[in-house]
Amino acid sequence: MSDSDHIIEPHTSTLHTRREFLRTSMLGAAVSLSLPVFLQKTFFTLDAMAADSAVQTATGKDGPILIVLQLAGGNDGMNTVIPYADDAYYQARPVIGIAKDSVIKLNDYAGLNPKLAGLKGLYDEGNLSVLQGVGYPNPNRSHFRSTEIWQTASDADITVPYGWLGRYFDSCCQGADPTVGVAIGNQVPQSFASATPTGVSFSRPEQYRWLNGDKSGASEQIYREMNEPEMDMRTLDENDGGSIGSLAGPSAAPGGHRESTLEFLQRTALDAQVSSDKVLAIARKFPASVSYPRTALADSLNLVGRMIAGGLATRVYYVSQGGYDTHTNQVATHTRLMGELNDALVAFAQDMKKQGNFGRVMLMTFSEFGRRVTQNASNGTDHGAAAPMFIMGGGVKAGLFGQYPSLTALNAGDLAYNVDFRSVYATILDRWLRAPSREVLGRQFPLLNLV
Amino acid sequence: MLTPLQAREWDLPKAAHLLNRAGFGGTPDEIKAFCELGLNRAVQLVLDGPDDSTQFPKPAWAQPRNMLEMRQEMMLMAPDDRKAVQQDIQKQYRQDDLDLINWWLGRMRYSDNPYREKMTLFWHGHFATSVQKVHDTFLMWQQNETLRQHAFGNFGLMLKAISRDPAMLIWLDTRESRKDHPNENFAREVMELFTLGIGNYTEEDVQQGARAFTGYRIDPRDESFRYAPFQHDDGEKQFLGQSGPFSGDNVLDIILQQPACAKYIVKKLWEFYAYEDPNPALVNALAWNFRMTNYEIRPLMSAILRSGEFYSQDAVRTQIKSPVQWVVQTGKVLETGMARPMVTLNALRELGQVPFAPPNVKGWDGGRSWITTSTLLYRYNMANFAVGNGPLHIDTPRPGLANVNNPGHGQPLDVLNYEGPNFEKIIPPQVRSDPKRLIAYLCFRLFQDPLTPRDTQPFIQYASDHGPNPGDDALRELLHLMMSTPQYQLT
Repeated sequence: MSDSDHIIEPHTSTLHTRREFLRTSMLGAAVSLSLPVFLQKTFFTLDAMAADSAVQTATGKDGPILIVLQLAGGNDGMNTVIPYADDAYYQARPVIGIAKDSVIKLNDYAGLNPKLAGLKGLYDEGNLSVLQGVGYPNPNRSHFRSTEIWQTASDADITVPYGWLGRYFDSCCQGADPTVGVAIGNQVPQSFASATPTGVSFSRPEQYRWLNGDKSGASEQIYREMNEPEMDMRTLDENDGGSIGSLAGPSAAPGGHRESTLEFLQRTALDAQVSSDKVLAIARKFPASVSYPRTALADSLNLVGRMIAGGLATRVYYVSQGGYDTHTNQVATHTRLMGELNDALVAFAQDMKKQGNFGRVMLMTFSEFGRRVTQNASNGTDHGAAAPMFIMGGGVKAGLFGQYPSLTALNAGDLAYNVDFRSVYATILDRWLRAPSREVLGRQFPLLNLV
Repeated sequence: MLTPLQAREWDLPKAAHLLNRAGFGGTPDEIKAFCELGLNRAVQLVLDGPDDSTQFPKPAWAQPRNMLEMRQEMMLMAPDDRKAVQQDIQKQYRQDDLDLINWWLGRMRYSDNPYREKMTLFWHGHFATSVQKVHDTFLMWQQNETLRQHAFGNFGLMLKAISRDPAMLIWLDTRESRKDHPNENFAREVMELFTLGIGNYTEEDVQQGARAFTGYRIDPRDESFRYAPFQHDDGEKQFLGQSGPFSGDNVLDIILQQPACAKYIVKKLWEFYAYEDPNPALVNALAWNFRMTNYEIRPLMSAILRSGEFYSQDAVRTQIKSPVQWVVQTGKVLETGMARPMVTLNALRELGQVPFAPPNVKGWDGGRSWITTSTLLYRYNMANFAVGNGPLHIDTPRPGLANVNNPGHGQPLDVLNYEGPNFEKIIPPQVRSDPKRLIAYLCFRLFQDPLTPRDTQPFIQYASDHGPNPGDDALRELLHLMMSTPQYQLT
């Protein structure tokens, strides 16, 4: 099976799909058929909670949620899950190695970074699994290329246009509700890229709305018209996507309809408008249930927690923590990052437990690569290959999975993987999100006993 | 091969397009004056603009420091004094970093030669270096000057200058690289991102190339480049199919011999100035000439900016404004002054492009990646601020650049001393009484395009409802509405 076979091509423009969704959902039907446009805002605000009925039929109100946490820059896996019983570790890392007596032991060979005590607690109570030696064949050491491989779940020697989560959205959610994928921040990750583009991003709900200087509402009405193109029934037909596309932009790419730049902007504007009403309503009604540390990562997870509490119809949340590219004097930086990671995850787990949603969420960490076994001349580490992943949640099977890669039998100077990351994705898709991994990933990867 | 645009095809929309892409746009009067130059003189002005160095003298902080002396003085201090001095230095740096950004944005906005600034912005995105690791305002400024000096010059010379540039030596760890422990960071990125593109070299080339760049140092007495022969590995290297005791410059020369290098640069330039995914035949033809003319940038840019393809429907109004373009061009078209540096910095951070702080060595991805639901709404709200509708709710996490790509917490900032546009000046009285004429005028000012009747109808309606002769408040909101659209994001 070639890689392109499983890609679902859109039959109509996404702008059309999105308008169709608004029209057919209870919410949208009311908007486009009966309510004057200037009343929409009030309507949306009042109805955001009730919107569950329209939106969550597609996604399942009590359905499972995945949170993907990217450790950007290439996390040093060997100082995260430490092979403390191996002399080769201390020989390779005389300065930056973590002293044996401070390692939090998981078994008689490997243990956690001293800053990850909270994760050890989650591990002990059965809510954290640690996957060792995760990677892929022919590892690439470029940040950008390796990130792309993880985001698209492709083989290392080919590139594919869509992300693994985007293909999941295409397969299961048909691009109807843009909030099915939410990225916290101002960027949407490549893993969300899909045939029928889906996913919104925001970082501060109170600013995620359109401000204006006209108290009469007339301006707001025009703004909504301009950014909800062709919402009225008379013009809703199969061709309007094409007529918009003909206004500007290079012709469609070979092999299917490609949104023009203007269509892309129009669709994003519509997604922004619809999601901002919901997000703001939830944010106002649901403050954090527990206290979070004041770091960027904890802020992001706090916001995810509030959106989950408010019932936003989201299947996948995406958050990231940067700073892992530790080429020089890495110990101080890496120690701080581990501490921030631990504290944010512990707060999030408490939040979910308090909400009663811990059983519904699964959080997965990943990084584009691990780092070299041997420290470099600057007391840092250069780009490497295989590394550990963490999976946290009320529904995971806790434990230590996979083998710690050998520190001496290396692959081009780096740790060799023994778990393909796509087996992790496949397991999450099949067993957690209940989506056909074979269709989403293009072939069947062996499943792990994680869920 | 490219089809040159005929002089008789030159008109106002084409002049506006050239001014938008090669510079940061302009007012209706500026576009008309640019059009009157004719195609040849307009392109000539872009390639050989006036020198603006007297307009923008060297800022006070743009001086090297004697790091050695500073370190020695600090060593002699009592620990508490040392800590206080270090804190002062950090504070000063944050202020200087902010000045640096504002200095450059001011140069883009007000320079008599905005074309060179645009080209410099391209090269900054290409040789993307961030103050967040370099931590030295002077060195960042100096790199910017180096890029400006070579902006329309010779790519090979620029590449060699950048390989010795102290900010780059810090950014990609070359200064740490020793004979016995070569650091691969620069050798990898110079091929992956600065010249060849991935797939045109091997891991072995990275390791061998890294050996050639050993011994590059920064002199702590004046922050200048220094070559340390004892740290240089002068042994035999195998690099891209050639062998010899190569130096760093030799390695760059071998890279420049590769056809992949000219193609990589040409494609990136074309995508920045014209449109994405150009036909490979077009890239190959330009790349051949670029390599055969020894990587001279001016003739290449001349060919691009005089081509019919550059003015085609594939190019005109198909590009999403970068955040810097949005901010600078909005200032120009509304004829406003610049907002306070902290306001602009925050906006650029939210929109995803802080000059001197690219997210990583790859620079900004550009194109559609500028736009997400959150950045699009922020652009609309930035427009609300720009027209003078009131303060932008912004977060000032920690002052300076410490967390530009990783925003934290803060409070709203007072932005009252920004006035917005002068409506007397930017909207002539004679167009105000007729809503259609008013909207047509504003469409040219804001979009340099009439838009479709369907797009303009709501604006005409709004103007009619507030007319005849809408007052400043209505005009303000009208401008805001017109800028709160997908169309305003295009150039």
